[in-house]
Amino acid sequence: MNNDTNVKLRLGNSELWGGLIGLALGGFVIWSGWRLKLGTINDPGSGYVLFYTGILMCVFAGAIIVSAITEGGPTLASRWENVRWSKPLVLIACLTAFAFALEPLGFLLSSIPLMLLLLRLIDPVRWTLAVPIAVLVPSGMWWVLKRLLLIQLPSGLFGIG
Amino acid sequence: MDTLVNVAHGFGIALLPVNLLYCFIGVFIGTLVGVLPGIGPISAMSLLLPVTLSGTPESGIIMMAGIYYGSMYGGSTTSILVNIPGEAASVVTCIDGHQMAKQGRAGPALGIAAFGSFAAGTFALVALMLVAPRLASLAIAFGPAEYFSLMVLGLVVLTFLTQGSMPKALLMACIGVVLGLIGLDSITAQPRLTFGRMELIDGIGLVPVVMGLFGVAEVLLNTEQTIKRDVINTRITHLLPSKEDWKASAGPVGRGTILGFFLGILPGGGAVVSSFASYALEKRLSKTPERFGHGAIEGVAGPESANNAAAGGAFIPLMTLGIPPNVVMALLLGAFVIHGLQPGPLLITQNPGLFWGIVASMYIGNVMLLILNLPMIGMWVQLLKLPYNILFPLIILFTILGVYCSSNNVFDVYVMIAFGIIGYFMRKLGYEPAPLVLAFVLGPMMENNLRKSLILSQGDLWTFVQRPISGACLALALVLLIAPLLPSLRKKRELVALDEGA
Repeated sequence: MNNDTNVKLRLGNSELWGGLIGLALGGFVIWSGWRLKLGTINDPGSGYVLFYTGILMCVFAGAIIVSAITEGGPTLASRWENVRWSKPLVLIACLTAFAFALEPLGFLLSSIPLMLLLLRLIDPVRWTLAVPIAVLVPSGMWWVLKRLLLIQLPSGLFGIG
Repeated sequence: MDTLVNVAHGFGIALLPVNLLYCFIGVFIGTLVGVLPGIGPISAMSLLLPVTLSGTPESGIIMMAGIYYGSMYGGSTTSILVNIPGEAASVVTCIDGHQMAKQGRAGPALGIAAFGSFAAGTFALVALMLVAPRLASLAIAFGPAEYFSLMVLGLVVLTFLTQGSMPKALLMACIGVVLGLIGLDSITAQPRLTFGRMELIDGIGLVPVVMGLFGVAEVLLNTEQTIKRDVINTRITHLLPSKEDWKASAGPVGRGTILGFFLGILPGGGAVVSSFASYALEKRLSKTPERFGHGAIEGVAGPESANNAAAGGAFIPLMTLGIPPNVVMALLLGAFVIHGLQPGPLLITQNPGLFWGIVASMYIGNVMLLILNLPMIGMWVQLLKLPYNILFPLIILFTILGVYCSSNNVFDVYVMIAFGIIGYFMRKLGYEPAPLVLAFVLGPMMENNLRKSLILSQGDLWTFVQRPISGACLALALVLLIAPLLPSLRKKRELVALDEGA
């Protein structure tokens, strides 16, 4: 790793960020455990295990932070070097849009566009193949689940599916 | 004599037409997911977990078990022919298997992988049959302190063997415990970390978490790369290895089987660890280690036998102690729980039909796999030609449907997508998901046993140390926690550390 991709106490140090997120989560778990009541050692309460797990999380996150500062770590940018970083972002955007559309539009109206987007946007499949796959696979699955297995899929505001 | 009677009873159940069908579906799907890179046994099992509800417990668990050991068989095909491991346990098979294929010896490589796997699978089943009932009778004496310490050991072993830094793996395990505790407290019924949402009262489901972390995250990672497959195009002939091949492979198959079986029993160990260990062992024992990496048949026979034996061995802690030693077994535990069954020391005595039926079905499954993997190899090769840009949208759709069907709840689809995105960033930053998932399953059990043992001992923490089994487990866990601090042991750990989740 060169100096640009391995940094110590810099904002770009990905290890440092990982440790800090762990520390914040640990702090939150300790606080949640405390709020839930620890009980006594003879009769541990609901927050007992959470509280001590939170402490352990802070200890391990601390170890990650110390290691990030003393030994350095790869920068956030270097983690996405030489890869097609935009492709997972597109996929995440499609999945997020699907999550929002699933209940109001129903399974069929949301999954057919999702399939079409995935088939065309990541490593484009030709239209003549993408359209039949995007339409037939979700429709086929819907038919099997709804008609054969009697599983109710979300039908949305329009009642389609 | 008792064992023989039980085995006969088991075959009576396993040979029922419906169970034969489920067994076939399981091993077929297992081989399929083993062959296809990008979807592993964990994703397939979580996808099919809801399907187990439709039949009897025997049928569902027979199918799930079939997927697991079927994927071990199928994984070798992709490794040998395409040089891409179909699942993590077949990574090491790529090294010599693909070289053999390039030299025109794909047939013997596939043949020895299938026969070695069959021999190892059969040995593991006989051992499971003999060891499990005895271990179960010992396990009846286990109290909450022993269970707690054994689970701690399992988690520590897994974090020790996970790729990357140990604090990261331990942090993941802690997060898994916390996620497992979301929902109602099993003792006081107080809601914990539910943020006022009714959907979280019962906790987060195992299926959406696993599908997100392993299925969706894996697809996200794969889309970063342009996946090119260099499928061996020549006709595959001579699947039956020659006399020389058998002579060279007999030792590695035997050693790989025994090594794999014992590593499979260990909590946190499993098929991946055993295949690497077997490869290292064979290379060390060989008189011509320089052949390894250039198409040595021993480099295929040993690891393939080891990973199948480990798959059989992994059933022992689950069936006898009720403790899943790895993520796949955690999913199988989920299948038991869905049917209202609790695997553990009492399962064999209270539900002998179930236990022996599953064991007998594995024999049958092994024979089915041999038939599926050798004469039908051409079909699997054709399947390998399916481009990833068509395959991954299908995987996404099946994961969405699988998660939805497991609970009929849209909220679980959101959870899966969220965990998929989290899992992707975790993997990019070097945090492995396997300890998180195992801790997620073990977390509530660990908490329950810890609180029970503290109540029973009236708050005396020495109870964990004074009880011999519990003390030994905690001592071993402590050694493994300290080991990475010593430079020589740290180096050794890096050598064996593996990407269990891949």
